Amino acid sequence: MKALFRSIYELIGSPQPPADTPVYRDVVFPNIGLLNLGISLALVVIFYYVINRAMGVATFNKGRHWAIFLVLNALIAFGVAIGQAHAQQVTDHSYIYWLATWNAILGIFWFFIFSLILRKGSTNASTTPF
Amino acid sequence: MRYLTSFSRLWPALGLSLALLPGCYSRSDMKTEAGTATGTPTAVPPAEVPAAVSPNTATPTEAANSTQPLQAVNVFLEVSGSMEGFMPKTGASGENTKFQQHVAQFLSEVNRTATVRQKAFYRIKEKPYEDSYQGISSTVRSGIQQPAKSTDIPSVLDTLMSNYYQPGTVSVLISDFIYSPKNAGAIPYIKTDITDALSRSGSHPELGVSVYGYTSDFRGTYYPALKAAGKKTNCCDTEIPYYIWVLGPADAVRRFDAALLEQQPAKQAHFGVTYLRPHYSLLNKFQNKGSWYYGDAGASKQTADAYRVVAVSEASAQQPVEFVVGIDLSRLPGQYRDVAYLKQNLKLQGVDTDATLLDVMAATDQTKASSGPESKFTHFAKVRLTRQPKAARPLVLRLQDQRPAWVAQWTTKNDATPASKTFALSSLLDGLAPSQEGGARQIFELPLTLQPGE
Repeated sequence: MKALFRSIYELIGSPQPPADTPVYRDVVFPNIGLLNLGISLALVVIFYYVINRAMGVATFNKGRHWAIFLVLNALIAFGVAIGQAHAQQVTDHSYIYWLATWNAILGIFWFFIFSLILRKGSTNASTTPF
Repeated sequence: MRYLTSFSRLWPALGLSLALLPGCYSRSDMKTEAGTATGTPTAVPPAEVPAAVSPNTATPTEAANSTQPLQAVNVFLEVSGSMEGFMPKTGASGENTKFQQHVAQFLSEVNRTATVRQKAFYRIKEKPYEDSYQGISSTVRSGIQQPAKSTDIPSVLDTLMSNYYQPGTVSVLISDFIYSPKNAGAIPYIKTDITDALSRSGSHPELGVSVYGYTSDFRGTYYPALKAAGKKTNCCDTEIPYYIWVLGPADAVRRFDAALLEQQPAKQAHFGVTYLRPHYSLLNKFQNKGSWYYGDAGASKQTADAYRVVAVSEASAQQPVEFVVGIDLSRLPGQYRDVAYLKQNLKLQGVDTDATLLDVMAATDQTKASSGPESKFTHFAKVRLTRQPKAARPLVLRLQDQRPAWVAQWTTKNDATPASKTFALSSLLDGLAPSQEGGARQIFELPLTLQPGE
């Protein structure tokens, strides 16, 4: 699991400064990776199953509504990465923000994938975004 | 009804996301996993557990031993005629010599110390005469009553080794160590005489000797080792050296030195005394350069006491890797804490690497006040390398035992003219270190590992 997240997050280069490499590999990457997957899944579930099925809301199923959740997911992913990095007391470095940006992009990607898989189960938004 | 059933279908999805959320790693979780294998992730990180005691500070038996006081100390004060000048009768104006000041205080410290259970004091003439603390102290203060004609260093050492060498016991010999062989032909054999004297009563592989050198003003008759030169009365304008030798099992000598002799400024040399390996660790955020990180298992926990593995991700001549090893030498004698000595004798040895020791530094106020791990160390060794290791390779920092420079400076071949030198001192000390020939002894060895970054 650690190796998987490491390979995903080191696509943007090795952690900086190098001294913090073990902390990123052993703690930060798995943490933000799992949180990112979980939060993306949760937002997809809320959009398709809670709002557009269980609650039966009929006016929140357009592509722009879906985009609101997509952006929300990206912002959360960005914040989670920065929060996790600081929680592990890594040295301040611009790398933290590159990592957070990459995490936000990955969040968008996961949200999109989960949307494709789970949208069929929704009653009101089974064709959102397309 | 429809509302309920549809909502219940969401349970698996919600449950999955809930299960994913807390399944995160944190340092504290990993520590419990590693330690107890319970591995239950908790939302609230448990309180930091104090770092485990380093295995290098002391093995359990050594730790138990060092809390026990030493069995006994026997202090021997030489009272031959040549010592009279150090202990003149108090003058009218009440002035005394540095020797009187220092030795009286040292004797008092020995008498009071809690490091040793039994203390005994002796005057050395042709053989040791037992004395009390008061008796020996007043001899130092007010002069020798009946000076011995002369004392022969090898026979004194022989006596100490055969009668007073016991486990947990040290002998302390205070003397000017002016050794005059019976004739000039014996001078080249001083070293052998000393070695023989130490081993006449059987070999003592554990024997350790610490030599502390001092100088003092001298008022009296000076007897040079070379008798042909004749004695000098009303000596001297220069200061004359005297010595405190500590003999005994290496472990006892080390502890006696640390308790009673390390506090005072003195020249020192140590023979056969062994020391525990000092605490040391790599420092990844102290003057580090280049692309490397702790390669130790669990390096991310930050609670480990010490790190020993350098993982080099990238190194080249343009982008060299520099790392610093913090070493705590506070338990070693002053001689080995001296930065000049360390710069000369701390050696780096590696396999298949171009790593070199760049510099050795002592702690500064800044490092001591730091919140980082560097505050725990008294010295720092900086290493540079420009080639990435191909596989895990050992890298060792060694401190070699080198005869300190002062011994040569304090040695003279002809002491007819009184000076701050002692006749054949280096030959005397050679006799203490017969087994060191062919390869310098090591004071400590600090193994590290170099490996490529993954």
